[in-house]
Amino acid sequence: MSDAKARIPSIWTTGWTDQLRTGTWRNAVAVHKKRGAPCHGACPVEGEIPLWVRQMREGDSLGAWQTLVAHNPLPAVVGRTCHHPCETGCNRNDYDGAVSINALEQYLGDLAIQEDWALPAPEAELESRVAVVGAGPAGLSCAYHLRRRGFRVALYDANPELGGVLRYGVPEYRLPRKVLAAEVKRIVALGVEVVAGRALSARDLPELEENFAAVFIAFGAQAPKMLPQFPRDDRRVMGGLAFLRLVAKADPPELGAEVLVIGGGSVAMDVAGCALRLGSRVRVVSLESREALPATAEEVEDALLEGATLIDAAMVKEVEEAQGGRLKLRCLKAELDPAAPAGAIWPLEVAGSDFELLADTVILAVGQDPELADWQESVELQGRLVKVDRRFMTSRPGLFAAGDLASDQRLVSVAIGDGKRAAGCIADYLQGGKRDRPKAETEAKTAAEATEETNAEAEAEAEGPEVAFSDINTFYFPKKEPRQREKVAACERSSDFREIKLGFNPARAALQAERCFSCGACTKCDNCFYFCPDMAIVKDPSLPLQYQVLDQYCKGCGCCLAECPRGAVSAKEESK
Amino acid sequence: MSYQIEEQKVFNSGHSACPGCSEALAIRFILNTLGPDTIAVVPPSCIAIISGPQPLSSMRIPVYQSTLESSAASAAGIKRALTAQGNDHTTVVAIAGDGGTYDIGFQSLSSAAERGEDIIYICLDNEGYMNTGSQKSSATPSLAYTTSTPAGKGTPKKNMAEIMAAHDIPYLATATTGYPEDLARKVAKAQRLTGGLRFIVALVPCLDGWGIPDSAGPKVSRLAVESGVFPLYEVENGVNYTLNFGPKDVPVADYTALQKRYRHLTAKDQEFLQKEVDGNWARLAKKF
Repeated sequence: MSDAKARIPSIWTTGWTDQLRTGTWRNAVAVHKKRGAPCHGACPVEGEIPLWVRQMREGDSLGAWQTLVAHNPLPAVVGRTCHHPCETGCNRNDYDGAVSINALEQYLGDLAIQEDWALPAPEAELESRVAVVGAGPAGLSCAYHLRRRGFRVALYDANPELGGVLRYGVPEYRLPRKVLAAEVKRIVALGVEVVAGRALSARDLPELEENFAAVFIAFGAQAPKMLPQFPRDDRRVMGGLAFLRLVAKADPPELGAEVLVIGGGSVAMDVAGCALRLGSRVRVVSLESREALPATAEEVEDALLEGATLIDAAMVKEVEEAQGGRLKLRCLKAELDPAAPAGAIWPLEVAGSDFELLADTVILAVGQDPELADWQESVELQGRLVKVDRRFMTSRPGLFAAGDLASDQRLVSVAIGDGKRAAGCIADYLQGGKRDRPKAETEAKTAAEATEETNAEAEAEAEGPEVAFSDINTFYFPKKEPRQREKVAACERSSDFREIKLGFNPARAALQAERCFSCGACTKCDNCFYFCPDMAIVKDPSLPLQYQVLDQYCKGCGCCLAECPRGAVSAKEESK
Repeated sequence: MSYQIEEQKVFNSGHSACPGCSEALAIRFILNTLGPDTIAVVPPSCIAIISGPQPLSSMRIPVYQSTLESSAASAAGIKRALTAQGNDHTTVVAIAGDGGTYDIGFQSLSSAAERGEDIIYICLDNEGYMNTGSQKSSATPSLAYTTSTPAGKGTPKKNMAEIMAAHDIPYLATATTGYPEDLARKVAKAQRLTGGLRFIVALVPCLDGWGIPDSAGPKVSRLAVESGVFPLYEVENGVNYTLNFGPKDVPVADYTALQKRYRHLTAKDQEFLQKEVDGNWARLAKKF
């Protein structure tokens, strides 16, 4: 070799450029880094949406479902009832329409029921017992997440069947009972002890606390808000939830020909839909204008399609007896006072806009409050709700609460998310053993916890900012029509309580999963590798993210960032 | 990407191209596709800079640096010498810039094509003498700023692809770095279709000369295609035209907006460019 070198004239090439360290040129280096997707950020159950959609896309439906149920044990239910803020947040909205995440969730949920997939068995079997009072979305979720951790869980509910508002509120045509029953059964099958048909009150608390290491209450909000204009104890005036409950028990009341629904939320729209299906003419009177209704746009649209009439921006002034046993409602158009504080509604009457409405039945759906009359001795309340700290603990140590009784956000998926988080807090509470430990140890634990929190924050920072649409390289995503779930034609709906949303078939689901940008999550597309002019990115399947950036060569041009279709490569500034 | 590049390290890291250089990216795909059994001829250009600096080389193959006028002739000579030695396997490729192709090296290229020399000639077209500080070449498009056309070039870009098509060579293609898979496929096809000169003109945005960010080379390259400024197509034997990627209704203004060499354009200028591009496309589209 040394002979050869000696023979080669120096004007000839004697070596390769890879001994030159062009990495010294740069002021920022490429880093492969997972970043948060806006769908995940918006998801009330923190459901790792990009991950399970990707698993679906790769044909691993079981894996996708397992990812789903790691956060939410009721995907078939939530796939039908969620207000899907994930789709509102979806970056594809700025392109050709959001990915139909909610429909995909329904698809996987239904597939799991059809295939009879079981939930993963508890990680361990622990001694501690926890009582969960109320088997609605929050209670079911909390019971499930506690059981998965290995706690022994007793689930109490006042009704004979589990599901709470999902069973006795949400109408059959939005959530078929058999779907709910299948998902509830799967949770119970994990070994949850069920005590149904037993209403517990605050008086039972000492006994529960005697028998259980912690108690979680989530019995929801059942007491209808009433309006003073309407007569009390009149069979022609009823609460929205009470009506839905009778419908759910297949024992609907006589409504008469003319039904007026007062309210503009989801419950009001459900009430309208049910009353229509029972054969009445339905008018919905709301204080808010149509654009500002608390119900989702889809719920309002469905109610109107099915034949309800909306009288928006209107208020009921007085109620009188009319001929034929009817009620006469004297109404006025109303404007909302913009000076009202956030959350409050101050209606202003529009002079001279008087009108009258006749009704056989009036159903009030202007909100519900938790029934807490006998609880105020036991726990601290905050307004009409149970007061909880950020760990979902009430003023009473060991008593936790979530769902509608502790939150103003009356949404199924928020309750499920709170149930999940509360389960985590209860586990921390029980396993951290803050209750009976010597003081010194408690302090040590607190310090350890503090470190843990710092680590969690550092991790969140390491994940980088949420991926925005501007981080997506749309060249790699040909436009594809969103094509949401189809629905039963409106004219066919009013005759029965058949489900109106038609789930995706496998082909449609696959097509929809294809549309996901997978924001911030590397899919090993190799673009960063291919577009590097310096061969400074090498593929190494043994690495967790498959790619390695060669520090000695990366000139920091940022082509890999720009060409990453999904914002999974970041630049890390370097100071010299 | 379905195309799997076989990284044979024919092109090495540590080269002296600017950060983000599209030309280096093109060379990576060209050399890795042609493989180690290749001899390259490179005239003075950024390509020569990237292949150096002596005594080091970024290209793990024999590279001969010719004069600016003679890359096609040098490549033809090397190929004939190899054939005379009984070597029928080594690929000879000339890789030149647009100055060395459209202007200074044009006569040797034209005559090599006419003689049917068994070589590949690849022009990495960055639309000017960018290596010497951005002077205009006959590849510089209408109205583009260069240091020698400070008010914008008053004449259109020479249509090199059609000139070479008129030589009835076995294979001719246009390519660009925003579509690396397409570029690599065309290089492989050029290597396969022996028996005459094969010509590829690849548009490679010059970050400094065009005034674009380091990371935007591939994006600008794709906009050139999608706006119809630089359609990607192939021609076999001067007559069989195939369109690979054509215009996609992207306004030319979207393409020029990203480049400082066009920042002096008025609305009227934009309109003029759009018309020119539309006219060129209308003429080309008839051939597919």
